[in-house]
Amino acid sequence: MNIMQMFPLASLTSEQLMCLLPLFTISAGGLFSLLVGTNKSNGHGYAFIVSFAAVLYALIEGCSNLFVSDISLLQNTLVLNPFTRSLNLMIMCFALIAVVLTYGQDKKEGLLAEIYGLILFSCAGMMLMVSTSHLLFMFISLEIMSLAIYVMVAMRRSSRFSSEAGLKYFILGGLASALFLYGSALIFGSTGSFELSTIAHNVQMGQPSIIFYIGLGLVTVAMLFKVGAFPFHGWLPDVYQGAATNVTGYMGAGVKFTAFMAFAKISQHLVFNESVEGLHWFHSFLWFVAAASMIYGNVVAISQTEIKRMLAYSTIAHTGYLLLGLIVVRTGVEDTRSLIIYLFFYALSNLGVFALISLFEDKNQKDLNLEQMAGLGIKHPILGALFTIFLFSMAGIPLTSGFIGKYGLFSSAVSRGEVPLVVIAVLTSVVSVYYYLRVIVYLFMKESTGEMATLHRLKGPTVAAVISALATLQFGVFPKAVIHFVKMFAR
Amino acid sequence: MDSTSSTLLSWIVFTPMIFAVIALLTPSFMESKLRTLTLIQTLVSAVLGIMLYMGFDGTSSTMQMVHFIPWLPDWGINYRVGIDGISLPLVLLTSFISPAAILGTWPHGELKKEKFFVVLIMALQSGMYGTFLSTDLFLFYFFWEIVLIPMFFMIGIWGGKDRIYATIKFFIYTMIGSLLMLVAIFWLIHSSQEFFGQPTANMAQLSQMSFGFDGSSLANAFRSPQTYLFLAFALAFVIKVPMVPFHTWLPDAHVQAPTVGSVFLAAVLLKLGTYGLMRIAIPFFPQAALYFSDFFILMGVIGIIYGAFCALSQTDFKKLVAYSSVSHMGYIMVGLFSFQKVAIAGSLYQMINHGISAGGLFMIVGFLYERLHTRNLEDFGGLAKIVPLMAIAFMIMTLSSVALPGSNGFVGEFPILLGAFQVQPVFVLFAGTGVILGAIYALKAYQMVMLGPKTTRHDVSHLHDLDAKEIIAMITLTIFVFGIGFFPRTFFWKSDATLEEYGTTVIQKSRNP
Repeated sequence: MNIMQMFPLASLTSEQLMCLLPLFTISAGGLFSLLVGTNKSNGHGYAFIVSFAAVLYALIEGCSNLFVSDISLLQNTLVLNPFTRSLNLMIMCFALIAVVLTYGQDKKEGLLAEIYGLILFSCAGMMLMVSTSHLLFMFISLEIMSLAIYVMVAMRRSSRFSSEAGLKYFILGGLASALFLYGSALIFGSTGSFELSTIAHNVQMGQPSIIFYIGLGLVTVAMLFKVGAFPFHGWLPDVYQGAATNVTGYMGAGVKFTAFMAFAKISQHLVFNESVEGLHWFHSFLWFVAAASMIYGNVVAISQTEIKRMLAYSTIAHTGYLLLGLIVVRTGVEDTRSLIIYLFFYALSNLGVFALISLFEDKNQKDLNLEQMAGLGIKHPILGALFTIFLFSMAGIPLTSGFIGKYGLFSSAVSRGEVPLVVIAVLTSVVSVYYYLRVIVYLFMKESTGEMATLHRLKGPTVAAVISALATLQFGVFPKAVIHFVKMFAR
Repeated sequence: MDSTSSTLLSWIVFTPMIFAVIALLTPSFMESKLRTLTLIQTLVSAVLGIMLYMGFDGTSSTMQMVHFIPWLPDWGINYRVGIDGISLPLVLLTSFISPAAILGTWPHGELKKEKFFVVLIMALQSGMYGTFLSTDLFLFYFFWEIVLIPMFFMIGIWGGKDRIYATIKFFIYTMIGSLLMLVAIFWLIHSSQEFFGQPTANMAQLSQMSFGFDGSSLANAFRSPQTYLFLAFALAFVIKVPMVPFHTWLPDAHVQAPTVGSVFLAAVLLKLGTYGLMRIAIPFFPQAALYFSDFFILMGVIGIIYGAFCALSQTDFKKLVAYSSVSHMGYIMVGLFSFQKVAIAGSLYQMINHGISAGGLFMIVGFLYERLHTRNLEDFGGLAKIVPLMAIAFMIMTLSSVALPGSNGFVGEFPILLGAFQVQPVFVLFAGTGVILGAIYALKAYQMVMLGPKTTRHDVSHLHDLDAKEIIAMITLTIFVFGIGFFPRTFFWKSDATLEEYGTTVIQKSRNP
């Protein structure tokens, strides 16, 4: 064994190293922030600075590396082309906002300084996951991401809801991971490859065996679990409520983005491969899951009186809309454009709205009751306005980026002939308008009857909310930049 | 076209927005000046409206003063505003009713959160101008939705007792229609890609496309794509009009809204619906529109009579005026769907006239409510002697509302009935009874408020008459009531070329594709 094989890093060319630099920076920043976080007097502050600097530097690195040529490593398992690099950039944006959002929230909720390191580790996992089309590698990066998230969810140590949520998420998530791995193994068994394009090729050559279909079914179910689609959503409301609110925001943005991009890659190669028989069943299955998620999520959200739980159910509905965008993904990455745009805009308003909730939540409070929010918008007009922007964005009302996202997603679905599902989507989003408006009604139009939530003046969440709100408005009125960015790289 | 005139429309759309930003930045010690600022803004908008009227070429039937800025060219979506003879009167209506509404309806006392209120009024105006002026379908939808938001807050925060119920009902009702319209917009833009080779949301281009329609039987009609598209657009618009049976949000919203909100709602927002029908639903899908025209005329007639009977039985003055709106908007539906040139022109006139008379009546309701804090008709009586000026103003608005010859109402309703009579004489016979019913309920309201013995329920002896601002507002409206009534050509001649061209094209396209 020569020295090159022992240290694969040393065999990289300088260009390959350049491309991997954001990933290295994030991982090293995570480790380093764990280290400085042990400082007794100001561990949180140091960890914040280190992780913030690491993500920011990685982001700059990622921007400057966007245009270099394609890199593939480890026998094509890790592919860094402009498309995956731009996805990585978006993920780093979410991580950056999440790091900012955590500052201040960490002390209030008594989170350990390790939270910053965990954010960075999960970010690295997400970046790997969207950069690969190798099922096994996908599994490993899924685990890198998920393990960090499990810990983050359970990190409010003095809250029993948090422990409950962490355990629930861990057990069910572990089951989903196992399904994914087992499914990949079955697919490997029947097609002889883990590489998605090779699998698709082999499947086209000869009629696949039943084992392939079982494997594909297991992988699909695992992915549906990760994105929180209807029959596999059971963990979602409890985890959203139990986790510290900054973690919830980061999950809703990052995990959803990553899982959907990976899912889109899998389904584009395997499920919507029109030359293979029997796969239309998967299409119909996803169609029904999408419709059921929209209906279930929106209808159940109406009856919620706690805001995080309501947003959890609404996120199931958003998963339904996104699945609608997913089933029109056919040939190449061009089809994922509207999906990416929607996810990006949704993630922004998601981070923003949870940042605002964390400002009003007391320590260890499970959730913010709508009654507690009555009159808050009148008392704090600017925060109320920010709340309104995010809720309008989620409801898809013009002037906000959510409308542009929804427009792109639904119009691409209409152009693919999925009109009935789009009609279901718009009708259920009328329902969603009702419960989003109800929050605004409480904020501005109801008098406070009992105790009103107190405002915790935390720097981090405030900054995160303002940044997200500005971006939401900016991209709502002038979305051209994002659309061009996505168009440039998704081809 | 020179560059100064081509940006005028954008100035009209965004001037209220600019003032809204100024209002937001007003420091708290200046907040007492916010009302003046609002008045200045509406006056600036009115001046811009006059400039628009001066610069408008009445002999041309095409879009004028087009201002084009690329927005999302990849999706075929652009910022494109323009004006023709159909939108001109509606823009002018908005720019003249706004200062009158601000002058006439501002609450006398302190208003809570006045800054927010002012910003909403300005945003509302921007949205209304934008909807009337946009010639890009996406932009139209964009502004159409934006109009909802200020109204939602206005009713919800400053409204009456059941304001939350009313405002949510208003919002959800409109959203159901507009989201289905959005799906139809996707479909249109997607089809434009096949038709023109690239997607476009330009209304002028979209109206050239034709969709298959087979009217040989009802079942075949419902298999035609044109039917779906037409119904999706029409639903969004008739909810806004509102057409029976989608009218139930209107009385609630009107009764709960603050007076200035009611005035804008009645005078301009309802016209967005009929404008949409006239601009999009009918000319884009003329065959389907013609095929279903009997249904819409029938619904219009039902609206006229049903609205009138509902108005007749109200004791709440504001609700009475709200139901009278349902009744009067029914005429516009009858006129638009009769596919007769004279009736179509009458519908456009009726939009303006109803804006003036309903706006004026809501202001009268506001005057009374400010002074006596009641809207119950039985609480009034014999006020004419105490407040003679208000009695005169009320009489003028009543006459305008009942379409007395010589007032503006007649100019709108008469051509509609005349034109529609040629296609649906029986329906028009029933619609004509609406004129009589209209006179009954309007005069009943006048009698209960102003005539008869002096009420004993309130101490009305010290009731003060209209103040200077309210007089100016009423005089503005009165000029339009009698001006349009006696000299309709002076006010509407600039629309003739467009209406002629529009009528010819629509009627021709609806008969032979």
